[in-house]
Amino acid sequence: MRTRELHIAMLAAVALACATSAQAQSPYGIGRPATPAEIAGWNIDIDREGHNLPPGSGTVSHGHEVFDQQCAACHGAKGEGGVGDRLVGGQATLATPNPIRTVGSYWPNASTLFDYIRRAMPQNAPQSLSNDDVYAVSAYVLNLNGLLPADAALDASTLRAVKMPNRGMFVGDTRPDVKNPACMTGC
Amino acid sequence: MPDGSAREFTFYMEAKSIVTRPSGGQKLNAPGFHEISGIAWSGRGKVRRVDVSVDDGKSWQQAQLQEPVLTRALTRFRLPWHWDGQSAVIQSRAIDETGYVQPTLAELLAVRGENYFYHNNAIWPWRIAADGEVTNANA
Repeated sequence: MRTRELHIAMLAAVALACATSAQAQSPYGIGRPATPAEIAGWNIDIDREGHNLPPGSGTVSHGHEVFDQQCAACHGAKGEGGVGDRLVGGQATLATPNPIRTVGSYWPNASTLFDYIRRAMPQNAPQSLSNDDVYAVSAYVLNLNGLLPADAALDASTLRAVKMPNRGMFVGDTRPDVKNPACMTGC
Repeated sequence: MPDGSAREFTFYMEAKSIVTRPSGGQKLNAPGFHEISGIAWSGRGKVRRVDVSVDDGKSWQQAQLQEPVLTRALTRFRLPWHWDGQSAVIQSRAIDETGYVQPTLAELLAVRGENYFYHNNAIWPWRIAADGEVTNANA
């Protein structure tokens, strides 16, 4: 999933930043240690349990406004998709030949929604939304998927408490999952 | 997966190989000697063996590996081949030091369904037409 690839890229960047500070006296005489403030600017990843969610909160109704302004152009007025991914619906399609993978039908963790929106959205100006706005948009997207009531507000603890419907459907790596007999003749 | 479950993200790429010469878009100019060559690799260690088939998978012969064979590194293989000018399907199959054998596309599809697209390490066959044109044999 794109979210996770992004996650890994960011972790790599953070690791690099740490490595730089550990090598303050670089034999090559270049660079300088990253300051705590600089590291904090990169250190925004949120894990599946929602650790590291920042302070702030936002309501579904405010999220609706932000969504209309910042998201609807690509994701559709109701998250039905367009230039951007579809965000809503698709429940009960994952086991069919044409699975529709959305936030509501597929994503296992609600905390990923905050992480991804804050990190990468809107695509023309990523990381331009305030934490309150990100909480609000996250709340609205969850509401569109029937996972939050219309009068709900979201903050770190309420976001952590959201149970995503597809949570239990992710399995670990079961490979090797195929056994080619390596036939040499008369195959 | 076909049952609606999904696998968590993983890095490991299992054994895979592909014939790079002749390969799609290329053209054999005349029947006769052509060296088949390609690359193999595995996320789980060294490539132990690569087999090549020139008869649409009916029989396989062991290709020669180019030294050094290093863990998780691209490994060049080659097999001398005399093309008789008839249409043919050629393909390669890597086996790594764990004994894992690169699967066919049909074997992968049977286990993972058509909606799984990560870690596709299926055997990749090339079709060679009688005029020497090389195209994707899965298409």
